[in-house]
Amino acid sequence: MRNIFNRFVRSYHRSAMPGYVAGVLIIIVFFVPLFTNSVVLLSSLILTGIWAIAAMGFTLVLRTGQFSLGQSAFMALGGYASAIFTAQLDLPFWPSFFLSGLVAGTIAFLIGLVVLRVGGIYFSIITLSIGEIVRILALQWEPVTRGSRGIITSAPPPITLYGHQLVNFDAGPVPYFYFMLCLVAVTGLVFRGIGGSRLGRTFAAIALNPVLAEHQGMHLMKYRVIAFTVAGIFTGYAGALYAHFLSVMTPLVFGLWQSILILITSIVGGIGALVAGPILGSILIHNLGEYLSRLNTPGLQSFLFGSVMVVMILALPQGAGLIDVWKIFWRWVWREKKSELDTVSGEAEY
Amino acid sequence: MNKKRCVTMTLVMVFMLLGFCSSAALAAEEPIMIDVAVINPMSGPAGPWGQIGVPAYDAWLALFNQEGFRVNGKLYNFRSHTYDSMNTPEGGAAAAKRAIFEDKIKFIVGHWDTSFLAVSAITNKNKVILIARNGNEAVPGGAYSPKKMPYVVFGTPSHERFISDIMSIAAANPEYKRIGIYDSTLGKGIGWDYVDDHLTAAGVRFHHEWYPPGTKDMTAYITRFKEAGCDILYGAGDVLAAMMITKQRWDMGLKYIKTGTAGGLLTPQMYIDVSGYDASQGFLAQYAAPWEYKNTKVNPKFIQMCKKAQEMASKKIGKPFTYTAWTDWGPTHLQILSQAMEKADSVDDPDKIMTAIRGGTFDTNAGKYTMSGEKTYGSPIVFGTAGAISMIKGDKEVYFSESPWKPIP
Amino acid sequence: MPPVEIWVDGLTQSCIFMTMAFGMVLVFSILGILNWAHGQLFMLGAFVAFYAITAAAIPFPVGILLGGLLVAALGIVIKKFVIDRIGNELYIGVATLALIFTLEGAATMIFGSDDRGLAAVLPGVYTMAGSTISYQKLAVIAFTLVVMAAMYFVLNRTKVGLAIRAVAQEPEAASLSGISTQRLSLIVMGIGCALAGMAGAIMSPIYPINPFIGRAPMIMALLAIVIGGLGSLRGAIAGGLILGFLHSVIAYYISYLSEVVLFILVILILLVKPQGLFGESAK
Repeated sequence: MRNIFNRFVRSYHRSAMPGYVAGVLIIIVFFVPLFTNSVVLLSSLILTGIWAIAAMGFTLVLRTGQFSLGQSAFMALGGYASAIFTAQLDLPFWPSFFLSGLVAGTIAFLIGLVVLRVGGIYFSIITLSIGEIVRILALQWEPVTRGSRGIITSAPPPITLYGHQLVNFDAGPVPYFYFMLCLVAVTGLVFRGIGGSRLGRTFAAIALNPVLAEHQGMHLMKYRVIAFTVAGIFTGYAGALYAHFLSVMTPLVFGLWQSILILITSIVGGIGALVAGPILGSILIHNLGEYLSRLNTPGLQSFLFGSVMVVMILALPQGAGLIDVWKIFWRWVWREKKSELDTVSGEAEY
Repeated sequence: MNKKRCVTMTLVMVFMLLGFCSSAALAAEEPIMIDVAVINPMSGPAGPWGQIGVPAYDAWLALFNQEGFRVNGKLYNFRSHTYDSMNTPEGGAAAAKRAIFEDKIKFIVGHWDTSFLAVSAITNKNKVILIARNGNEAVPGGAYSPKKMPYVVFGTPSHERFISDIMSIAAANPEYKRIGIYDSTLGKGIGWDYVDDHLTAAGVRFHHEWYPPGTKDMTAYITRFKEAGCDILYGAGDVLAAMMITKQRWDMGLKYIKTGTAGGLLTPQMYIDVSGYDASQGFLAQYAAPWEYKNTKVNPKFIQMCKKAQEMASKKIGKPFTYTAWTDWGPTHLQILSQAMEKADSVDDPDKIMTAIRGGTFDTNAGKYTMSGEKTYGSPIVFGTAGAISMIKGDKEVYFSESPWKPIP
Repeated sequence: MPPVEIWVDGLTQSCIFMTMAFGMVLVFSILGILNWAHGQLFMLGAFVAFYAITAAAIPFPVGILLGGLLVAALGIVIKKFVIDRIGNELYIGVATLALIFTLEGAATMIFGSDDRGLAAVLPGVYTMAGSTISYQKLAVIAFTLVVMAAMYFVLNRTKVGLAIRAVAQEPEAASLSGISTQRLSLIVMGIGCALAGMAGAIMSPIYPINPFIGRAPMIMALLAIVIGGLGSLRGAIAGGLILGFLHSVIAYYISYLSEVVLFILVILILLVKPQGLFGESAK
């Protein structure tokens, strides 16, 4: 297991780009709706953000050395929680949304307490099974989840200020776009905070060498549960946003294949960066899928999707994600010293 | 003088030319195209179902457009665009957005896959008319609400057809002990309460079994049916389960059990290949070949069109095109739509068109359709459809029985 | 007590899971990776058998071997041109996951996605004491027994088998004593993939054949090897048996709820024995 993590532990503490560049990029993204009113493009971006959040959760869990194959279950839990609160129990939207992530987080916490002591592929299979059980429950627990009929979710209520309607979620995807942006920003800030803090270094130490970490007095389980719960909370929020954006929650929305896509997104994006990697992965993978679904040749889209992934992994330097390529590029642009992919130096910039 | 004549002659000639051109244009009036979308799985495991009907549907549309239809004195044609829903809610929603916002499509027809709720959420918001089947959502108590979904039309009544299938099977096999109804847990839900109520009222003896989606080994379920005393097993349209039950009940030596499934046969050959020749003899399926109907009256003109489209499709794919269920999806929905446009005197006002659809009667490939208006579902759904059943005999699909669903009075 | 047919059905399913799981474990124990596209090799094996029998009129047993051979060749190609060129286990995993899409897409483009079948191969049923079993299922069981016996022979009685076991236990020591790990891993990849291909081929008379049939057996094989204990060949067999009987025998009693029982059982086994039934603690 160890060599898997060597790579990112070396580089995780280096930010992918200076803060001001990130700031400029964020401002550009913020004004995207001014340049385009394409519903299709904006929807695609919204989904990109949602899957990026889920992938961030996956990466966080991966950093404690655990490989979860059930992340879409937490999206389903968050989505169903919000859908049930608003549509079935008629609670107001914002408290329901707020609770949805906490519900997913609580369940993640409880599950984590029980299953996180199992490691490696065994943990993956347990999470896979949990994902399937959540899907089956959603299908079978009809009085609550309405089974395969699904729940029709309502849009968030319009936001009014002094009687003026400022934001109307029914009007189009733009409010959802900013909603998504806020959620990505909050998740990003929290995860960035974790990544740079003592907690984040502990995670990395655990991933690098669990036995050693434990010997140094780190409580393995505690940190794994923390990571799993935090990932559960934000994945739940992503799922809740997804459910309201899609206007419907059915057992078919989240399943094993979605978990696998989250995994691919996270790893192709690069696990060296907790926030930027998943975002980059999601931009590539989600939009590639979206673009390919326009091809009306059966099989071709699936073939191209897989082939692009394989070729990309082959083309990337050993064990590097997209974000690492970006880092190399960035350093090359600024003619900095040799890329850290070659030199294993530096505990410098914590 | 000479100059003047020259000018006059030129002018006359120009005018004559213009005249010729315009009269020629009048003689072959260019029809105005109305774009419609078909959003169904085109790839993935459900892909064959989206693909199979396409050659015949295209041929039929070409025939339909030769005549076109007139609204307010203008000639209109349909132009169909296909979008891949990948059989997921997310894929369906993305496809619907592309159709509506990029290609400015106002009508979606022939929809049947699992993305119905996600697609209808987008179509209703944008006043796009969606003609689909009534799945689990549409029965009383389902997710469907006429107020929230004013632009949804159920052009193919799945549940009602299933009921009439069972009725015609029971009528054709008066000696039957019990009909076993199999469906995956994906279909489990309130729709079956509605079906069960009707079957119980009609005095049909039946028994349900559900299995996890994708189950291939049906031995356990066949045994459960056998122990419940069933001698006819009829499924809700899951082809994999139908093929496996047909094969495995034969392998278990239970030759007296008849099998079948709602939904048309893709091809009899597929059942013969997968289930075996002997096992698939007598396999029952929904039948949508209007030229074979005995109790349902279909406009002879439509029958001719369907038969011709079937021939054209055979020519196109280079072998006999035997799939017939296409007649009942896109074409029927386009017939409803065009006739509603004629009645509403409008091709672009969705409210007027919906008013014409509600409670209206339409002449289609599957007989005369009467929309229920407010009575049953609070919104348009069709009744009076043909409920025909076919059977595999040799390597052909032949007519078996029929029990048309009665229109609501 | 469920009727005999149900037990036979359970055994037949166990056989598929076992053959698949055995191949996966073998590859894992030498290469240290899980090939996520194992199920797609199963699918390709079924297609090879289908075309061998329908288009080239090759006898069924030869069709099975041909399926195994061609799929083994593809497995070696994948090993040489994809797996060997990626150094990191994590990325190898993602690459094989991506291969699922590639192979399914390619199969759809080449073969089309409608169902085919070989029900005409080995028709007929065997009736004894009121129970009826099809020859096709008997063939599956017999084939699996032969494969397992052959695997036992190869692993325990041949030089290659000795080398495989040596590398699985002590890769460095084995390499020091002159075993070419590189060549051995190619052989093992070939054997593992051949098992998947042959499993697909032997299944082709009882199930439909389309580009998507590989997904379910792959997940089941994965569950089987994990509850059996990753890296343990005995565990793969035990896991396959448990899952196969669960599907049929439990389903007979509680119908569709068997699916939930399956996953709960998997979780419970792993919680009680975190390294699987036959697993040893991590190396």
